[in-house]
Amino acid sequence: MLARLIISFAYFLDSSKNYCRAKSLAYDILENPKSRIKPYFDTFIIFLVLVTVSILIYDIAHKLTYHFVLFENMAVVIFILEWLGRFWISSSSHNMIIEYHKKSIDNDEKISAYKILKMIFLKKIKYVFSPMSIIDLLAILPTYRPLRVLRVFLIFRLLKIFRYTKSLNTFFKILSDKKFEFNFLLLIGIFAVFMSATIMYVFEGIGNNPNIKSYLDAVYWSIITITTVGYGDITPVTYTGKVITFFLVGGGFLILVLATSVVTNALSEKIDLVRENKLLSQANKLEQLIVVFGFGRMGRTLAGELYQHKKDFIVVDRDEENISKAKELGYLYMKADVSQYEVINNLVFQNDVKKVVVTTDNDALNLSVLLTIKAERKDIEVIIRANNYNNIKKFKIAQADFVIFPYETVAEVAVEYIGNSVKFDAIENILLQKNSITLDEINIQEGNEMIGKSISEILMNDTNITSIAILKNGDDKHFIFNPSIDNYKLEANDTLVVIGDIKNIDKIKKCISRQFA
Amino acid sequence: MKKIVLFGYSKTGREIAKLLNKDEYNLSIIDENPMQVAEANKDGYFARHSTFNDDTILIEMCIDSDVDVLFCTSNEDSLNLFITLSARNLNKNLKILTLIYKKEDEKKMLLAGANRTISPYDVGALKAFRIIDKPKVSKVLNLFSLNSNKLSISEIEIKKDSFLDGVYFSDITILKENNLIFLGIMDRELGDKFIFFSQGINHKIDYGDVVVVLGSKADIEKVKIELDKK
Repeated sequence: MLARLIISFAYFLDSSKNYCRAKSLAYDILENPKSRIKPYFDTFIIFLVLVTVSILIYDIAHKLTYHFVLFENMAVVIFILEWLGRFWISSSSHNMIIEYHKKSIDNDEKISAYKILKMIFLKKIKYVFSPMSIIDLLAILPTYRPLRVLRVFLIFRLLKIFRYTKSLNTFFKILSDKKFEFNFLLLIGIFAVFMSATIMYVFEGIGNNPNIKSYLDAVYWSIITITTVGYGDITPVTYTGKVITFFLVGGGFLILVLATSVVTNALSEKIDLVRENKLLSQANKLEQLIVVFGFGRMGRTLAGELYQHKKDFIVVDRDEENISKAKELGYLYMKADVSQYEVINNLVFQNDVKKVVVTTDNDALNLSVLLTIKAERKDIEVIIRANNYNNIKKFKIAQADFVIFPYETVAEVAVEYIGNSVKFDAIENILLQKNSITLDEINIQEGNEMIGKSISEILMNDTNITSIAILKNGDDKHFIFNPSIDNYKLEANDTLVVIGDIKNIDKIKKCISRQFA
Repeated sequence: MKKIVLFGYSKTGREIAKLLNKDEYNLSIIDENPMQVAEANKDGYFARHSTFNDDTILIEMCIDSDVDVLFCTSNEDSLNLFITLSARNLNKNLKILTLIYKKEDEKKMLLAGANRTISPYDVGALKAFRIIDKPKVSKVLNLFSLNSNKLSISEIEIKKDSFLDGVYFSDITILKENNLIFLGIMDRELGDKFIFFSQGINHKIDYGDVVVVLGSKADIEKVKIELDKK
């Protein structure tokens, strides 16, 4: 009966729009690294922590006024709410119940309320004892007046700040990779401390040394010595004690050196990864990002053009040499094997990407990238390089939007050179943009004042711009070549393709867009 | 019939060979890789193998006398450079077009005697960029490509007693009447440099100049015939 009630409640929550919306809002505020609100919330919490800690420190020697107490209480309420929010979104109980229900129907099992509750309880308790949750809880505790001793824990409130700084998190993550080394060093350290402390206690603790009254004093001496701090309040008096000190100081020094080298080693190993993560999160914030796969010669020229025209793009290559070039040029880059699904998922699907260019010289690799993208997102435009004539067709079958076979294009241009070479120069100039003359498009949007006017009214007389064609609705199947500049009346969604000086074309484009302003 | 020598049966070389009509051009191929030579022979071209220790093969191919154009399309910049230099040494008037793979090599190639250089990667990259930046322009450009055959860019040489001799740019009506777009001109007086109409210079056309126009193939042929008549 209870089980039935729980399950129907879970289904009710699942179908409730308000509940889902509230939960996703909470997720956006507290955890979603991509949300816009989170940074503000994080800054606010850090501010609260700093202020309340200052108040608590002030409180130790002074009497607090009413306002401070109120503020402190408010802050704690916010901390508690924050923790409850995190507790709420840490796992989705109703989903778990629904899953369980489905499974039990499939397996023809009896539903038991005990099992459901145990499942939820275990999951939630796991969150409560996770390090981050403990930090949060410790930050709340010092306010509880009867537990004045717990005031020490106010220091844990400062730990809360770490929670919001990403770099520190990565630092700890890097160090946790070296767990084995640290554990080993710690073990050696503990062993050395207790061994020397024991020897010291045996030889000097029986009255030889007035400063060593207990075993704790011996351990204290040992730790102060091994860490090379050496206060000098307890010094060995017997020969055995002095000999032990030699070894202890030497060993302590070694342990310190090793620990330092482990940390630096871990950092230098992972520094590229850290940097890459940073670039990736930078890319994450960009809109209409263009992803260029392959930073070979074609990728490099393309990236140069994109950079010059201020388009946002990121280059991906698995070759160290190519990536270091991208690094030098200051582009966004990622060193990754593009045949991995994860790479494409992180880079293309998780970001605002509309266009992808695949430029490696390996057709199999290009195809795998193309298929990975098209399998999941048909709306992403893929421009792909073919390195072999026979593969052009295959790419088309795999739904590539544009296939570029550079060798064919070059051959077409090269053949023009046989004639008077004038045509070659003309084409080369247009294709490679060697001077200020360029082909460009002028779009006539709906509601533009130019609709119904003739082309000559747009292209001012002194600009020497020639209109080459008009595309209807941007489609190359319905085009008008060499439209009459006086008789053709422009319609909405026409695109005028023109050739002319880049500055003059810009002038006209500005003229047209100004109407919308 | 124009005589053309292709050095390097690479991917680009193959595409060039495909584009050259066998009835119009006399094409010979040289390659330093015997496998490529065999393949060119299999595809029906006249191909020779050479290791380029000396110029014998170039002389046998008549580079020093009656070849019109030499395409250096091997996969290696250094080989292209070597052949360009050797060929230029043999024949001062030969037209040489060389592929480059690295931007830095362009100056070297021109110094070695190439008339023009072209890079497949730049062409490919710029094509990709145009698709991103100006998708409609690239659609129009596709209409000009040899595959689609819809529109073409063509050059018309102005003969001595043509009625265009001595006419200013802005006064040409025959092109407009035939639905052609006047793209630009190569002027003998201005040192064989190509001038775009859009550069805004109203220049006088003289005989010997070459006019470049844009239009459908039929219209271009019509205008050529008309110009020859008068």
